[in-house]
Amino acid sequence: MKTRVHIIDNATGQPVEAEIFDEITVEHFIETQQNWRPVVLKAARQLASRSSHQLIPQHFHWDWTTKAPELKVLANVFYGISYDNQLQGLMKLETVGQFCTCRLPEQAGKALVYVDYVEVAPWNLKPLASALGEKPRYNAIGTRLIEAAVLKSKEEDCKGRVGLHSLPMTELFYTRACRMTPVGRDPAKQNLLWLEYTAEQAENFLTGAR
Amino acid sequence: MKFNSDLGWLKKQAALEDNCFVSVGGLVSAVEDLEQKSQQATASRTAFVNLLNLARREHKLTWEQFSQKLDVDLAELIEIENDESYKPTPRTVSKIANFLRVPAEKLFVLSGLARAHDKQFQEAALRFAARSQPVKALSSEEHEALKEYVKFLCER
Repeated sequence: MKTRVHIIDNATGQPVEAEIFDEITVEHFIETQQNWRPVVLKAARQLASRSSHQLIPQHFHWDWTTKAPELKVLANVFYGISYDNQLQGLMKLETVGQFCTCRLPEQAGKALVYVDYVEVAPWNLKPLASALGEKPRYNAIGTRLIEAAVLKSKEEDCKGRVGLHSLPMTELFYTRACRMTPVGRDPAKQNLLWLEYTAEQAENFLTGAR
Repeated sequence: MKFNSDLGWLKKQAALEDNCFVSVGGLVSAVEDLEQKSQQATASRTAFVNLLNLARREHKLTWEQFSQKLDVDLAELIEIENDESYKPTPRTVSKIANFLRVPAEKLFVLSGLARAHDKQFQEAALRFAARSQPVKALSSEEHEALKEYVKFLCER
């Protein structure tokens, strides 16, 4: 799958055409390690030196290349967004597994698509770009990736049901921008907040209905 | 997959996403884990350089001939051999893997471009790095080490 989608260029405030695709290879993981990680670490050091500890990204240690063997697992789906010949965001979904079951009482036990990993290129994140004295380049990357997760859920007959564990500093994005329902802390996953979409909420997110 | 093409919706979403972190995944791991990973990476890297060196000598090629055979820039091969911190391009590593007839994914790990949570893989790299002596003529022991290691990379 390879589809054109718009994202927002922050320099102009206007939409630009990016590409979202699912043919992810280990080379894409290497690209994140070579191009993203040094920027994340540099920004983290800057934030630490200013004692802005609450803004230090908790994902600074991630290494997508360790996920290379998971590319071969049929139940996993990876999506990337590229623009300007650079990877701007990357996501890993699971369609089968430990966390692929709904927990919200009204849909408990039903199947869902689990968002295992999401990362947006550091130059697109305002807190990181600001730490480096720059403006974030592109916006709505996270929105497009979550949109892909919901669309995949529909393809898998999960009707848009999606679940994920949010890091504390990203809860705002999933509750406010994506309007997912916070269900509760999960002791099985570092006490992170479990959030979920019902089919109706997912549809509202896709269409912008409130 | 049909993505929303409404630009009004997109702009609203962008405004909501602005200033947010988006990442999903686990929390930060222990610093000790990161240090251990760094040591493993050094062993892998040594094994990669030695593998390259022994393979070149096994085929009785000079560095120049080797670079032509691989279709890789000579300067990059020299960097790989002499600069431990140098990261070869994925394309170069793929070409080397093709020449050696080993899976590219394994060489990505060995060259330091990728990481693996595989203790056996790391131990085999360490053993190979310790057994090979790239400055001397290829001994029968090195020949065996090279053969065994290429077999190991192909089998797993």
